[in-house]
Amino acid sequence: MRETLQLSWHVVVRNWRVYAKDFLANISPTAVDPALLLLALGMGLSPYMKEVEGHPYTAFLAPGLACTTAMFTAFFEASYGFYVKMTFEAIFKAMLTTPIGVDEILLGELWWVGIKGAMMATGVSLVLACFGLFTYLPWILAMPFIGAAVGLACGSIGLIASTMVKNIDQFQLAYAFVVSPLYFFSGVFFPVSAAPVWFRVMVNISPLYQGARLSQMAFWNDFHAGEAIVRTLVLLMYAGVLSLMAAKRVRKRIIL
Amino acid sequence: MPYVIESRGVRKSFGETEALRDATLAVSPGECVGLLGPNGAGKSTFIGILYGAVRRSGGDLSVFGMDPATQSRDIKRRLGVVPQENALDEGLTVEENMLLFARFLGLPVAKRAARVTELLKYMSLEHKAGAPIHALSGGMKRRLAFVRALLGDPEMLILDEPTTGLDPAVRHVLWEKVGDLRRQGKTILVSTHYMHEAEALCDRVIILNHGNITALGSPKELIREHTPGFVAIFSAAPEVCAKLSKQSGLVVDNRGDVALVRAPALDDLVRLQRELGIEAQQLRPANLEDVFLKITGEGLDQDA
Repeated sequence: MRETLQLSWHVVVRNWRVYAKDFLANISPTAVDPALLLLALGMGLSPYMKEVEGHPYTAFLAPGLACTTAMFTAFFEASYGFYVKMTFEAIFKAMLTTPIGVDEILLGELWWVGIKGAMMATGVSLVLACFGLFTYLPWILAMPFIGAAVGLACGSIGLIASTMVKNIDQFQLAYAFVVSPLYFFSGVFFPVSAAPVWFRVMVNISPLYQGARLSQMAFWNDFHAGEAIVRTLVLLMYAGVLSLMAAKRVRKRIIL
Repeated sequence: MPYVIESRGVRKSFGETEALRDATLAVSPGECVGLLGPNGAGKSTFIGILYGAVRRSGGDLSVFGMDPATQSRDIKRRLGVVPQENALDEGLTVEENMLLFARFLGLPVAKRAARVTELLKYMSLEHKAGAPIHALSGGMKRRLAFVRALLGDPEMLILDEPTTGLDPAVRHVLWEKVGDLRRQGKTILVSTHYMHEAEALCDRVIILNHGNITALGSPKELIREHTPGFVAIFSAAPEVCAKLSKQSGLVVDNRGDVALVRAPALDDLVRLQRELGIEAQQLRPANLEDVFLKITGEGLDQDA
């Protein structure tokens, strides 16, 4: 077990080395996108809006953006990124010639999407905090955990997609029909409280919504213990079940 | 002395396709064994099975006395593999690639840099230490993939087509290193398309065809058994074949553009040239390539 953890960490180190080589380029879209969104939607629409659920629109939007960033970064890493490593770059083939085995590769990749989710959610929150959008700063300590869980769940979706696509272009299907709907309908851009019941039910089962709600509680310093526990459990369940499914499928793809 | 590899009836199927059937062989410590066969013969499948990158469908297998299906990690600590694709990290430099692998192999942190430098020197790549992989030539990448496999100072080396597609100079360098490692007493399993190289270097060769081991023995034994004698190669195949149909004691292989004629003695072929009034392109002792062509009944794809 100790060896497995140690070896899986090597996989994370490898990913980090490559990522860090082009750190600025790699981090740009993830950092710039939420900033632009906040600017375009928040500042652009705010004058036309009254408060949304008791918050100015920018403040309403901010917590969700921290989560969506974690989702995108994890999904892209586990789909396009993982697929390229698995096929074109033969990175795993090389790893498999060393004491690293398929379990360690898997665990390492899951670590990695979790870490990236945590990094992105925290990074975006820190930037937003600079604009005064984070009400009570100590809550920011919750963001790495929320980001990691969202990253793990959405990264697993990417991994599962990686085992299903026949070529790299087919990831667009997963993006269009899974990730995009999650993005737009997880209570990030508008409150779901006013929506019809069926819609609320749908949103409530979205993994991203669990993260978005937890993030909103943290950003707004608006903690509800009962809801927080339920959301956390549901999110962890998603992360757990999806990563197990991903593990099962990826194992078959890597070891023939 | 126990065998390093002991394989009995090992097979592998991918769905309906049987990639490997009944692979039975044993490799002793310090032996250099060549794995020959046309593309798709099952060479890479067998190699993958040896270190757990491919799951076998059946048969008994032990490597260093362990089963690759369950103990691949311990096997791989004593094994260096040069995979068919270089599988280098394109975004990282030569040195970074090596250091990363040293980490994977569990080399002590303090020793990694020195070991990497030593090996890069061994392969005359030290001047490229800081270069990114994409700036290397094909030959350099292959040399790097080769020394990378030596990082852990393995007891056994598995080389999957180490020289395919390389220019003769690089091929020569790599085979020289294989010879070097062989002299150091390392066990070597090498798959290749280059028969004369296998003949010169390997104690024994295995010829795989359509997933079956069709021949196994030292190059000399196999030549004596399957294609003894001497070979003349004629370029005017149709003409030669037409005239030869009446001759006896000769083995003729019409390969379209050339005809290969094999006889027990060189004199027979010299006489044949005179009789035909056609000079052969080449007169030479039968070699492993003749054995290979006879057994597999196919030409060799050089690079495919």
